[in-house]
Amino acid sequence: MIHILGIRHHGPGSAKNVKEFLEKVQPDIVLVEGPPEADPLLKWVNHAELKPPVAILVYQPDDPQHSSFYPFAEFSPEWQAIAYARRNDIHVRFMDLPMTHHMALEKETFERLKQDGENKKEGEQPGDAAPSVNNYAFRNNEVAPPPAVRKDPISWLAEAAGYDDGEKWWEHMFEHRHGNEQVFDAVTEAMQVLREEFAQKESRVEQMREAWMRKTIRQAEKEMFQTIAVICGAWHAPALVNMPKAKDDNELLKGLPKVKVECTWIPWTFSRLSYYSGYGAGIESPGWYDHLWHYPKDDGTRWMAKVAKLFRTKQMDTSVAHVIEAVRLAETLASMRNLYKAGLEELNEATKTVLCNGEDVLMQLIREELIVSNRIGDVPTEIPKPPLQLDIERTQKKLRLPATADYKDYTLDLRKENDLERSIFLHRLQLLEIKWGERHDVSGKGTFKELWRLQWHPEISINIIEKGNWGNTVAEAAEKFVIQKAKEADALSTVSALLGNTIPAELHQAVEVCIQCINNLAAASGDVIQLMEVLPGLVQVTRYGSVRKTDADLVLGIVNSMLTRICVSLPTACTAVSDDAAQKLLELFFKLNDAVNVLQQSEITALWQQTLRSIAASDNASPMISGYATRLLADYKLLEGDELVRVFHFSMSSGTPPDKAASWLEGFLKGSGTILLIDNDLWCLVNNWVDTLDEETFTRVLPLLRRTFAGFSSPERKKIGEKVKAGGSGAVVKQVAENAIDEERAKQGIPVIMQLLGIKN
Amino acid sequence: MSSLLRQHAEQLFAQELEELQKQDTGKRPANWKLTPQGVVTYLIGGKLKNGFEVTPKYIGNKRLMEIAVATLTTDRALLLYGLPGTAKSWVSEHLSAAVSGDSTMIVQGTAGTSEESIRYGWNYARLLAEGPSEKALVETPVMRAMKDGKIVRIEELTRIGADVQDTLITILSEKTLPVPELNMEVQAVKGFNVIATANNRDKGVNELSSALKRRFNTVILPVPDSMEEEIDIVKRRVESFEKVMELPAEPPALQEIRRIVTIFRELRSGVTLDGKTRIKTPSGTLSTAEAISVVNNGLAMAAYFGDGQLKAADLAAGIIGSVVKDPVQDKLVWQEYLETVVKPRDEWKDIYRACRDLM
Repeated sequence: MIHILGIRHHGPGSAKNVKEFLEKVQPDIVLVEGPPEADPLLKWVNHAELKPPVAILVYQPDDPQHSSFYPFAEFSPEWQAIAYARRNDIHVRFMDLPMTHHMALEKETFERLKQDGENKKEGEQPGDAAPSVNNYAFRNNEVAPPPAVRKDPISWLAEAAGYDDGEKWWEHMFEHRHGNEQVFDAVTEAMQVLREEFAQKESRVEQMREAWMRKTIRQAEKEMFQTIAVICGAWHAPALVNMPKAKDDNELLKGLPKVKVECTWIPWTFSRLSYYSGYGAGIESPGWYDHLWHYPKDDGTRWMAKVAKLFRTKQMDTSVAHVIEAVRLAETLASMRNLYKAGLEELNEATKTVLCNGEDVLMQLIREELIVSNRIGDVPTEIPKPPLQLDIERTQKKLRLPATADYKDYTLDLRKENDLERSIFLHRLQLLEIKWGERHDVSGKGTFKELWRLQWHPEISINIIEKGNWGNTVAEAAEKFVIQKAKEADALSTVSALLGNTIPAELHQAVEVCIQCINNLAAASGDVIQLMEVLPGLVQVTRYGSVRKTDADLVLGIVNSMLTRICVSLPTACTAVSDDAAQKLLELFFKLNDAVNVLQQSEITALWQQTLRSIAASDNASPMISGYATRLLADYKLLEGDELVRVFHFSMSSGTPPDKAASWLEGFLKGSGTILLIDNDLWCLVNNWVDTLDEETFTRVLPLLRRTFAGFSSPERKKIGEKVKAGGSGAVVKQVAENAIDEERAKQGIPVIMQLLGIKN
Repeated sequence: MSSLLRQHAEQLFAQELEELQKQDTGKRPANWKLTPQGVVTYLIGGKLKNGFEVTPKYIGNKRLMEIAVATLTTDRALLLYGLPGTAKSWVSEHLSAAVSGDSTMIVQGTAGTSEESIRYGWNYARLLAEGPSEKALVETPVMRAMKDGKIVRIEELTRIGADVQDTLITILSEKTLPVPELNMEVQAVKGFNVIATANNRDKGVNELSSALKRRFNTVILPVPDSMEEEIDIVKRRVESFEKVMELPAEPPALQEIRRIVTIFRELRSGVTLDGKTRIKTPSGTLSTAEAISVVNNGLAMAAYFGDGQLKAADLAAGIIGSVVKDPVQDKLVWQEYLETVVKPRDEWKDIYRACRDLM
């Protein structure tokens, strides 16, 4: 006896019917729509630690990105069927077209399409039934884009029954009802009619899938099973009831191509089960279905109580009276619409009207937390999995970093052992391009704090399998992956960025390779600018030495050698540059100087100062840069007093062309006009120089001067203006002579100050 | 034709209500003239079993009306919320006409609305002459509605001072109105309920206390979703206006209505319909109701001062009147809109010139 149970994938009503039906009929084998390769995985169902939502991941080991998921929630009829079989210890098998053929066929189609070129895009889109009753696989890399909007055959039935939406009709007819005896016969009959009325040419793959299902059923018959229960998408039911000749099916399934596939259980999330994630057989509201599954008799009271509880945790006053009123309104609405029971829509409308004062904003909250819900499944550790995945799961457990469907923020204090390990782990995953954690900027000073935002997506599993080629542990895989990347890189900036990420991941070998690569590239690179661009980043890296016991020393070595290289070739690089290039160089100068200051290594500083001197003194160097170099020397107090005045005067003297002098001034005053305010000699110098300009020259250099002064902060500009107004060389800051304090008079004030500070004398 | 300037809903649509009553065989809540489904049909419109056509009163989401009607069957009161001109009072009038057959029990909320106009007042001459007695009591619409089991409407609830608002709490929760002076009370008869309206913009004036808020189910009436919906509303209302006002002018061409709705929608949303140009929004609400009155105004102008055909010049004054509420800022907004959006549109030359002349 063969029982065909046509269902809607992930329909709680279907699930309930399937469960009741199986318990009544007591079959000795259950056949479920799904990939036969995953048959060995079925033994894990009912394992205490395998908690839905979970999915079977089928992938090609040589191309993990090419993969399919078969998701199951607790309210999926397939899950209930498998669970029943496991509970009663009877046979259970998947019966869909094996993925090994399916994927190979897809590959063929893909290649053919590619050959055919663009002219026949999507020419062969078959008119399949809606995925909700046809196929529940979640394709990762669809060969063709999901079929364009077309009329789902079920909506014809819905329209006939006066519903505007096929899903809604199905919901009210089959999912929401209690105790329907012959529901499966009815479904099969309805689908039969639809398939006849809207006979479309089924695609070849669809035909093969159904042929394979029939083949599996025949096989089961041959093995002398007496009562066979077949659970499949409703659309397929008629095709399995009316069996054609076995020969035809075998003909169709002859000589199918093959690829190697593997499969495993992975955790799934409710949000991925929802329609919005692009899942063809997705459902509007996994959270609501879950609720329906657990409380099929709920009249909305329990749901409303959940809503109220959620609102209360979000600090919104929600009284019991609210809940009562909302349930009443939902019931009234349902009866007005001739529904025997309030559905999610009625409950939502009641919530909005009664609890949310009509505002839509709060409904968003319910939608995220309850209707879709943030649930994530769990998979037992002992399931055979790719070793890298195992390692990640072990580490997650050890470091107490559970995978969650909703995002969660962690602020790590690297001075703590556990947090440091977490950070290392997350950095390694990031290097492997496994996008679980995202690092955010953290406020406050110091390098010991990191902010991470973690959110698990089921696709990460594929990423992990893909990266499994690189090693069996995260550390090993990351190490090898980085090394490979560093060796392939041909730009200094790429490797240096890589190094920046590798050091916090504590991959010593990889760091060494990176440094070696940088060294090689730096030696080969004749472009001093490239070196200058990279260096500040590297110096930043060395700062980690303070918290992480790391390879900072190694980096320091490379920084030293790079700085030496820079200092040697910089003076020549500064000659004969255009204004624009000089402007850019100036920025790099600025950062490089900062970097040197951060390093605080006397040798390097001395070398740098030496370089500055030669640039400042050089006649051929770009005036802007030499001006800036002079200024830096002044900052280092290497050029002071008379000497500085002399240099400035020299550069500003009337022999120098005015535009050149102005450029020099711009470089010299870059970033701050304070020096101009405080140093009176300098002030006079600049002032006198401006005085000597005739009108024509002044007009010519005015834009340059403006450019310089625009860079000052507005209080500085204001002060400079005031100083000019005060009259030429007017001395503004009068220094108090050290011995000008009258001690006697000062003493008189002390008691008052003590009193003010609250200190008794 | 009646000589009344404006008829109540139950007078204007008496025939529809009667037909609905005849056809409506379902179970009615106590003292209701129609079943809840019947009320929804009356509001949304539709064809009855005997082929009688019910005109739509509210054009928009049917579900909102279902929620509103369902609320009235429970013991919570209904609060209609929305921008000025989103048909709140219109819906409340028709709801009470359909439910109680009487839309005249109405209290207009103002800053000066006192407790006496919500609970009860006294006829002082009688009070002094005869002492306190029921005869000396002046009933308010609220009290009458409670006695008769009808719907009472309170317009602009948030305009009423907070202390006066809260007198509603006992009425809504205990369904009774005590008269301590006479040592008696008025208990509400089944079928009594309150429909209040309030507008979004005045939210801050007198926010409802949370105790009172809890007694209301809130339905927010939105501005029309689509252009077509809005045009439909304007067209229907203008047609009914012509009927009532007996205007000799020809009915307005659809394109004229479309233009006005376009102008209003664009200024309201701050972008042109093609989504290409950003424009400033004026301070007025520019609701559908205002679009209706602009067209009506234009029709009257055309009928009495023009050649009986609605032209751009007849509309211009009305448009400017509803857009420019603030003489300084809105004027700039309008000029900018006129020059940047209206002027380049080829078919809009007449309206541009007409508006230009008036500025």
